[in-house]
Amino acid sequence: MIVGEQKPISEIKEIIAPYKKILILGCGTCVKTCFAGGEDEVAVLASALRLACKKDGKEIEIEEFTVERQCEDEFIREGAPAISRNEGVLSLACGAGVQALARRFVKIPILPGVNTTFIGVLEKQGVFTEECSGCGDCMLAIFGGICPFTRCAKKLLNGPCGGSQNGKCEVNPETDCAWQLIIERLKILGQMDNLRAYVPPKNWQTGLSGGPRKLVREDHII
Amino acid sequence: MNMKASGKLQEILSKGEFAVTAECGPPRGANSEIVRKKGELLKGYVDAVNVTDNQTAIVRMSSIAACTHLLQMGLEPVMQMVTRDRNRIALQSDIMGAYSLGITNILCLSGDHQSFGSQPDALNVFDIDSMNLIRTVQTMREQGKDMSGFELKGPPAMFIGAAANPFADPFEYRVIRLAKKIDAGADFIQTQCIYNIDRFKEWIKMAREEGLTEKVHILGGVTPLKSAGMAKFMNNKVAGMDVPESLIKRIAGVPKEEAVKEGLKICQETIAQLREIKGVHGIHIMAIEWEEIVGEIVEEAGLLPRP
Amino acid sequence: MTENFKPKITLFHCINAFDEAAELSLTDMDNCEMQTVKMACSSMVKDVFLLKAFEAGADGVVVLVCPESQCRYVEGNIRAKKRVAWVQNLLDEIGLDRRRLALGNMAAGDKAAAAQIINDVLKNLAELGPNPAV
Ligand code: SF4
Ligand code: SF4
Repeated sequence: MIVGEQKPISEIKEIIAPYKKILILGCGTCVKTCFAGGEDEVAVLASALRLACKKDGKEIEIEEFTVERQCEDEFIREGAPAISRNEGVLSLACGAGVQALARRFVKIPILPGVNTTFIGVLEKQGVFTEECSGCGDCMLAIFGGICPFTRCAKKLLNGPCGGSQNGKCEVNPETDCAWQLIIERLKILGQMDNLRAYVPPKNWQTGLSGGPRKLVREDHII
Repeated sequence: MNMKASGKLQEILSKGEFAVTAECGPPRGANSEIVRKKGELLKGYVDAVNVTDNQTAIVRMSSIAACTHLLQMGLEPVMQMVTRDRNRIALQSDIMGAYSLGITNILCLSGDHQSFGSQPDALNVFDIDSMNLIRTVQTMREQGKDMSGFELKGPPAMFIGAAANPFADPFEYRVIRLAKKIDAGADFIQTQCIYNIDRFKEWIKMAREEGLTEKVHILGGVTPLKSAGMAKFMNNKVAGMDVPESLIKRIAGVPKEEAVKEGLKICQETIAQLREIKGVHGIHIMAIEWEEIVGEIVEEAGLLPRP
Repeated sequence: MTENFKPKITLFHCINAFDEAAELSLTDMDNCEMQTVKMACSSMVKDVFLLKAFEAGADGVVVLVCPESQCRYVEGNIRAKKRVAWVQNLLDEIGLDRRRLALGNMAAGDKAAAAQIINDVLKNLAELGPNPAV
């Protein structure tokens, strides 16, 4: 899923400062799961902002609404009436959701309330970790299911570096060294030969380096 | 084709003689005098001088420029190159540029992560890793082609070095990685600073058993300790460094004003042991911002005059 | 602060920690206006309820839960503690001050403990004054 984190209230206050009537629009998919922008977070943020504005003597009307998914037109549509009756929309979706709204509602400022951080997993309740950077050419098969481009701080293809110690990454002792994990996993899988093989330079063209990407599924286009 | 570079370092190593290299860190500024001063201190005592590439991710004069200053003084540089800051386009271009200036040795590294340096806010590149860089330089030399397969007009023929850290984890994988670097094209290896000589011996024994010491020249890294504080710092704060407790105690056990002397004594003992180990073909002295001591160390060790 | 400031307190409590009878005997604290919200378990304290209480005009909010490790539903009170801490940070961020909100652990029917917790908040409120966001 896409993991994100709500922006600090102080920053949100600045972002919405020019508006007197705003809609806080949540998204019920990824950002809900990571407690950044689901219905509950919309309610809390709205309440906190109302208190903050009142305290500062600023008048503001805040409407709350959450759609199932902000990155899809079909779901955005449900929010259309609420969106059109406000001066601005504070979106609590990921960056894609914010842009999907901006694309559809050209005349209304769409503002981000969330910092979108990564594609990750729920490691355990309340803890999310980054796992994939969407490189467009998945090589997990040779790395024992652990992505070095995302989880090694130096994106090493032929790691580990000389700083790996006690299973931890030299960059952050809280983080596991991805290469230690890869080696352990390959050992279990009996695929240590993968480590002896030279991994040639990665072709980054399939990633963001090749420019923004587009996926077309002819079979689904009517 | 096999047009190998022909510098002094390569010559000494291929003759089977014991090589001595040292390190020189370029200044945080454009003053070439500082480089020359360091060069003066090293001249005549070492066979080649490693010039670091924005070491510890602190912005400094470029390695390529500092190498050129040393060259002009008649010193032979080993240009260090990290993959942290440049993509494959810039790396290849700089390799050709460096060679055109007369730089014939390169040490291929991934580099310290920028979060430790003066610009933690920088974008890191890591387009390719050190292994890929080694292979790239080798392909340029052996096949005369760049990474895209283009036939170069006057391909650079560098003598290729790589780093190895016998003290990092996972231990059993360290030798596999060394083998990979040799396969990729490394001609010589400079190791992380050696304090835990037992672990080093274990590592090189494994390397010998794999026949690796026959294929590559290993230069053992040494750094004289100045104080117990430095020893502790290296052990605890520098990633991939292993200073045994006994050494820390030993240096803490002498009066403060004797600590430097004791550190140098330890350094001499390490060098003496390294010279005895089969498969060690030289030493690499990393006296960080203490270049003036290098001459003394080499002389004490009886490694003068240099060929 | 203000001479005749009679603070309004909203009290959230878990029915296992606090019962009607004890609640009534608290009326001797007549220097404040108290509103109570009963919950089957303290884990039902949601951050938004706490904020809404402030929006509704409360000067302070108190959450009373069972002692840790004595929750009937295992970890309800720990959840409540974390939520309260989260909202306290929010209160600081929006300038309302975290000291307007408190959580107390109390054994069932322990009136004295409840009074102590409420009194502490009242003390804070005497210093902080009325809710600035009403
Ligand atoms: S290899 Fe690419 S697609 Fe696969 S997990 Fe890593 S970044 Fe994601
Ligand atoms: S310690 Fe491991 S994860 Fe960290 S940079 Fe080095 S190889 Fe990558």
